[in-house]
Amino acid sequence: MDLLEGRFELKEIQTLEGHTDRVWSLAWNPATGSAGIPPMFASCSGDKTVRIWQHSGLQSWDCKAVLEETHTRTVRSCVWSPSGKLLATASFDATTAIWEQIGGDFECVSTLEGHENEVKSVSWSASGSLLATCGRDKSVWVWEVQPGNEFDCVSVLQGHTQDVKMVQWHPSIDMLFSCSYDNTIKVWAEDGDGDDWQCVQTLGESNNGHTSTVWALSFSPSGDKMVTCSDDLTLKIWGTDAQRMHSGDGYAPWTHICTLSGYHDRTIFSVHWSREGIIASGAADDAIRFFVEDKESSIAVMDAVMVTIVMVSEVDGPSYKLLLKKEKAHDMDVNSVQWSSLENKRLLASASDDGTIKIWELVSVP
Amino acid sequence: MSEKFSPALRIGDLNDYIAPSQACVVSLKGLKKNNTSTNLDKPEVVISAKPLQTEPVKISLKDCLACSGCITSAETVMLEKQSLDEFLANINKGKAVFVSLSPQSRASFAVHFGLSPLQAFLKLTTFFKSLGVKAVYDTSCSRDLVLAECCYEFISRYNASQSANDNGCKSSLPMISAACPGWICYAEKTLGSFVLPYISPVKSPQQTIGATIKHYISQKMHLKPEEIYHVTVMPCYDKKLEAARDDFTFSVQPQGEPFGNADVRITEVDSVLTSGEVLELMQLKSVDLSSLEDSPLDRLLTNISDEGHLYGVYGGSGGYADTVFRYAAKTLFGREIKGPLDYTIVRNTDFQEVSLEVNGKVVLKFALCYGFRNLQNIVRKIKSGKCDYNFLEVMACPSGCLNGGGQIKPKPGQTAKDLIQSLETAYLENVLIANPFDNPIMKQIYEEWLGRPGSEKAKKYLHTEYHPVVKSITAELHNW
Repeated sequence: MDLLEGRFELKEIQTLEGHTDRVWSLAWNPATGSAGIPPMFASCSGDKTVRIWQHSGLQSWDCKAVLEETHTRTVRSCVWSPSGKLLATASFDATTAIWEQIGGDFECVSTLEGHENEVKSVSWSASGSLLATCGRDKSVWVWEVQPGNEFDCVSVLQGHTQDVKMVQWHPSIDMLFSCSYDNTIKVWAEDGDGDDWQCVQTLGESNNGHTSTVWALSFSPSGDKMVTCSDDLTLKIWGTDAQRMHSGDGYAPWTHICTLSGYHDRTIFSVHWSREGIIASGAADDAIRFFVEDKESSIAVMDAVMVTIVMVSEVDGPSYKLLLKKEKAHDMDVNSVQWSSLENKRLLASASDDGTIKIWELVSVP
Repeated sequence: MSEKFSPALRIGDLNDYIAPSQACVVSLKGLKKNNTSTNLDKPEVVISAKPLQTEPVKISLKDCLACSGCITSAETVMLEKQSLDEFLANINKGKAVFVSLSPQSRASFAVHFGLSPLQAFLKLTTFFKSLGVKAVYDTSCSRDLVLAECCYEFISRYNASQSANDNGCKSSLPMISAACPGWICYAEKTLGSFVLPYISPVKSPQQTIGATIKHYISQKMHLKPEEIYHVTVMPCYDKKLEAARDDFTFSVQPQGEPFGNADVRITEVDSVLTSGEVLELMQLKSVDLSSLEDSPLDRLLTNISDEGHLYGVYGGSGGYADTVFRYAAKTLFGREIKGPLDYTIVRNTDFQEVSLEVNGKVVLKFALCYGFRNLQNIVRKIKSGKCDYNFLEVMACPSGCLNGGGQIKPKPGQTAKDLIQSLETAYLENVLIANPFDNPIMKQIYEEWLGRPGSEKAKKYLHTEYHPVVKSITAELHNW
């Protein structure tokens, strides 16, 4: 079905209250929501806690656990390991905590120290063997997971000139992406002899990049495209040569495909690309927006000649269209939007400065 | 922050949202009044109401060391006392200027100009003497004193750890080398007190040669300490921070003025120049080092044999683990190890370990741990009580001191990796490997001045202390 031809509505399923301060981020547990395991996600907040929420049949989402008394300041980011067994939480207290579900309880099994101050984001690699953190000290750290919940620091990467807002591993290869208050996105890869990591590309203004803080990034389901969101009120789509990337034949650089401007009038804090190809954005105007690729126009160009991705952008311009805008999704800034990976439902969770989390379903209207 | 500093210091630069005036704690202390003593000959009553003259607040590296905030964001903070201009000015002031050259800097010049380390040393001596320098010494000589002190320190810590019951003396081992000022600064500022007791109290070769020149050589040469201006040439910018530490100053009574006058503060090392800065000085003077004549070396504090060979220990970062390992193997277990030690790579080439087995049991386990990432892992191990090393040679820079931030930069087309390989090769080219305890200069210094390694006098002049930096409220505010 072509998404653009359908009509959609964002249906609020439930508002989850419990956090006593702004909710910064959330993460769906990838090992839940199928095979009879009820879907579960974690949320983290300025109230220094992490909450675990689980679907308990019917339409009800309940707080299953509160992870507290570990972080001493805001918990800014949380992410599950690919197996869903471990949860990593990054805090303004300069530490990253690793939690393991033991029986029904979550126990803090390791604490990663080293950042000079606020840790802003944490990301688990696709294989689960590497963890990345970043923060206000402008550095990006790569950690290797060792047996017994030990974590070895394999690299401390200095390259950004300002606060690093987010780190995100590529969904299939061990390549790390970071975005920053310095307006750039940096790509990091292990160097040839596997001894250390290095910056292999910087996407800045000179690459048609952002002109203000880049807050977040997300990959397309196939991993050959990336969307970034910024304080410059735009979303940008970037692409790479997927074949070359997977062949290991040198580095396949990322190039700008198009810029989605004119849709947002306040800072865009969060962006997430669904498995089905729908890009959700959360912004400071309290709204949630959805974008999809306008396949007709881009296919037309692709058919005309065998063009490179760069040429598509030159010839074609934006090929993504606004599908839906949900005004007043929250009472305050929307800090995070995250699609669940459920097969049969377009389920989205959003987190806001208003202290709530909302569960939404994107449904097609006949 | 300058990229010149080591990675351990660069991580500490925290000033992203802070305006310059807020970033520095020192500037909050307000303006200093102009010194009024110069106004004594002026009339008592001044008719015109002149605005109060204030001088701008100057921040020295000393202030930065005492602060728990950033190290320094501004290049301009780089001490006036630590610059080429200051160096040249002091030569012109008629002070007796001594230069102490590190073997890592020597290697940097050797590689850059295609010379052997000995040739580089001979020609550097010519260059410095042409500027009016009195003598050029070699910090591999003072390093042998450091190594001897480290060996004694290790044995006493090892014995303490063996004799202690399960609860006692937990902080005696691992012993951690102290020659890297980037590591020391990082440990003091961010790791707090848990790691400091493990750090060797023995001064670095830079400070040891400083103490030796100002306390011992000065007497030999009938010079007052305050008449000497002592400059070191180092592979590393962090060494400037080290030289600025209060711990490395002492006071003397000015002679001939018995009453009233305050003591004169003497610093062991007055100025630190990096290899790169000395190259800059050569370019300023339009000097091509390779075309200079050779000058005889100043043998008083230089590791040169009677046959004209340079000598020193294995290890581009000073050979601390290497030397202490050999000494401990012999002293504690009667094992004499000849030739290079058999290091195994743990994680990467910057983290290597060596161990000694006796009757199938590991009795000594030492590690080289270079670069910020490896330093992090070792700190984690110490903190969680899982560190089973007896000795750690810790350096903040990847590849250690030969790769220091102050070394001459790679030539166009030369990669950093190529350069470090050339430096490692050049470092020991035609340099004889010699046991520090066989060094005749070292023996003489102990005989004439310090007594024996580990003596009270040796501790007074060659040992130091570390101070955890308490986070100030202002610095905390920066971290909001």
